[in-house]
Amino acid sequence: MAATETSKKWGMVIDQNRCVGCWTCAVGCKEINNEPLGFWWNRILTASASEVTGESSPAAAAPASDSIDVPHGTFPNVDMAYLPTACQQCTDAPCVKVCPVGATFRRDDGAVLVDYERCIGCRYCMAACPYGIRVFNWGDAKQPVDFTVGFGQDYRTDGRLVFTPDRPRGVVEKCTWCVERIDNGEQPFCVEVCPVGARVFGDLADPTSEVAQLVEEGGATQLLPDLGTDPRVFYLPVDRERRV
Amino acid sequence: MASRVETPALRPVPFGRVGNGVIAALGVLVLWGLAAWIYQLTQGLIATGMRDVVSWGLYIFTFAFFVGLSAGGLIMASAAEVFGVKSLRPLSRLGVLTAAACVLVAAMTIIPDLGNPQRVWELFRYPNWSSPLVWDIVIIVVYFVFAVTDLTIMSRRTMEPSKRAKALRAMAYAGLPAAVLLHSITAWIFGLQVSRPWWNTSLMAPLFVTSAILSGTALIALAALAARRFDKIELPKETWSALATLMATAIAVDLFLVACDYITILWGNVPRERAALDLILPGGSWQALFWLEWIVGGLVPFVLLVVPRYRRRFDLLAIASVLVMVGVYAFRIELVVGGMLRPLVHLAPGNALGSYRLGSAVFQFDGVYHPTWVEYAIVTALFAFLSLLIVVGYRWLRPVERER
Repeated sequence: MAATETSKKWGMVIDQNRCVGCWTCAVGCKEINNEPLGFWWNRILTASASEVTGESSPAAAAPASDSIDVPHGTFPNVDMAYLPTACQQCTDAPCVKVCPVGATFRRDDGAVLVDYERCIGCRYCMAACPYGIRVFNWGDAKQPVDFTVGFGQDYRTDGRLVFTPDRPRGVVEKCTWCVERIDNGEQPFCVEVCPVGARVFGDLADPTSEVAQLVEEGGATQLLPDLGTDPRVFYLPVDRERRV
Repeated sequence: MASRVETPALRPVPFGRVGNGVIAALGVLVLWGLAAWIYQLTQGLIATGMRDVVSWGLYIFTFAFFVGLSAGGLIMASAAEVFGVKSLRPLSRLGVLTAAACVLVAAMTIIPDLGNPQRVWELFRYPNWSSPLVWDIVIIVVYFVFAVTDLTIMSRRTMEPSKRAKALRAMAYAGLPAAVLLHSITAWIFGLQVSRPWWNTSLMAPLFVTSAILSGTALIALAALAARRFDKIELPKETWSALATLMATAIAVDLFLVACDYITILWGNVPRERAALDLILPGGSWQALFWLEWIVGGLVPFVLLVVPRYRRRFDLLAIASVLVMVGVYAFRIELVVGGMLRPLVHLAPGNALGSYRLGSAVFQFDGVYHPTWVEYAIVTALFAFLSLLIVVGYRWLRPVERER
C-alpha cells in the first residue's frame, strides 16, 4: 500500500452554483465505500443561498423544512441552494482532539481517518463533531446486496486499518476522502461521479492547482468558520462575485 | 475530641428480616441488569435507543449523576477538617464510604456505553492527552484510590488516634482540590465542545461542582436518615441543621448559575443557543425538565430546608433530599436534550440514523431518543449496585459514630 505523501496538502472545493442536488455523489460514496444500510457518509442538505457565505450560518438560519428540496422564503422571494456535507477534514479537528485512544487521527496530507481496530466506540467524536457527519455501527452491518461492490477490501495506512468492507460492530466511521484512491493518484469517488463538475479535489500546497486557485480567488467559504475548525473542504457560494 | 472518633469494632450490624429482604431485592435488580448487559453485548448498541443524532443517552447522563453523588464524601471530611465545621464530623466516614462507592459505580457506568468494551484497556495503553475523557479517567482513578485510602485510615483501630487525626487532616486538604477537579473535568467533557452550544459555557464546571455538592449532600442526608431509622443512631441536632443549611445554600447557588446561563442566552438571542434553551423553557417540548429543576428540585426543597418549622422534621428532610436528587438528575438529562436534539447543522434531511429498518426513515431531522428496556435495566442495576455497596459497606464499617 502506498505510504503517506507528506508533501501534499489535500483540499476540496464544492461549487454550490453548480450543484443540482441529485445525490449522485452521496450514492456513489455509499457504493464505493461499502456503506451498510442506514449509513450515509455524504448527504446533500437543502440550504438557503445565503448560508455558508457568512451572512448567516446553517445554525443561525431557520431551516425551511425538514424535507429536502424545499426553498426558503415566500413566493416570489424564494431562495434555495444545496449543501453537500461530508467530513469537512478539519485542520484543527475536534474529533481528533477528543478521541481518548487516538483512533481518529489526522495524516500529514490532511486526511482525517478512523482506525477501525483501535476505536473503543465511546462516540465522543460524534458529540464533538460540529457537522454531524460521523456514523456509528450500532449493530451488525447490513449490506443491500450479498456480493461485493465498491472498493471491497481492507486498506491500511501506516499499518492502521482505515477501511474495511466488513464493518466491525461498535466503531465509528466517516468519509475518508477515499483514502485508498487518493493514495494511488485517483480522485475521491464523489468528485469523479459528480455529473456537473461541482466538486474539485487537489493539492492546496500547489498554487497552480485548480483547487488552490478556487480557494484563493473564487471567494470560497468554509462551513461554520467561526468555530475555528478550519476545514479543508471549501464551498463556492451561489451568490459570489466571480460566478462561473 | 479523641474519644468521639473512637472506632467501633469491625463487626457487621445485624440486619434483620427487612434488611435481608432489601439486600435480596437489590441483588435481583443487579442480576437483571447484568442479564440485560449480556443481551446488549450479543446485539451491539442497537439494543439501546441511541442512534447517530442522539448518540449519547441514559448511560452518559447517569454517569455524570453518579460522579456528582460522590461529592458528599469529601464535603463531610473537608468541612470538618478544612473549614472547621465540627458538626459534620460524625458523618465524615459515611461520606467517604459513599464517595468511594459512587465513583466506582460511575466508572462502571461508562462500560455499557462503549461499542467495544473489550478494548477498554486501550485507554491506558494509548491515551490521547488532549481528550477530556482521558483526564476524567485519571481523576476518577485517583479519586477512588484516595477515597479507599481515606476509608482504610478511618477504619484502622490499631492506629494511634493523634497520628490518625493528622493523617485524616492531610487527606482532607489534598482531597479538596481532587474533588473540585473530578467534577470540573467531568463538566469539561461537555463544556469544552464548540459543537454543542448548550454545553459550551464556562459555567459548566461551576455548575457541576455546585450540583455535585447538592446531590452528594442529599445522599449523605438520606444515608444518615436511614441509619437513624434502622440502626437507631442519633446524631446531634447541629449535624442535621448543617446538612439542611448546606443543601439550601447549594440549591441557591446552583439555580443562580443556571439563571445566569438562561439570561445570557435569552438576552443574546443567538439562534443556535436559543434552539436548545427553547426546548427546556416553559412551552418547550421538554419543559418538564424546567419544572423538575426549578420547582420540584429547587423551590420546594429550598423552602423545606430553610423554614425553621419544617427543617427540624426528619420526614421533610428525607423528602427534600429526594427532591434535590430529582432536580439534579433533571439537570443531567438536559445535557442530552439541550446538547443533542438540535444539531448545529440543522438542515433537511438531517442525519442518517446508522441503522435500517424496512419501512422507517433512514434520516432524522430532529433528534429523537427513547431509551429501551435494556438501558433502563442496566441503569436500574447500577443504582441498585450503588445502594448495595453503601448498605453492605455500612454494615461492615459502621461508619456513623454514636454520640456519647
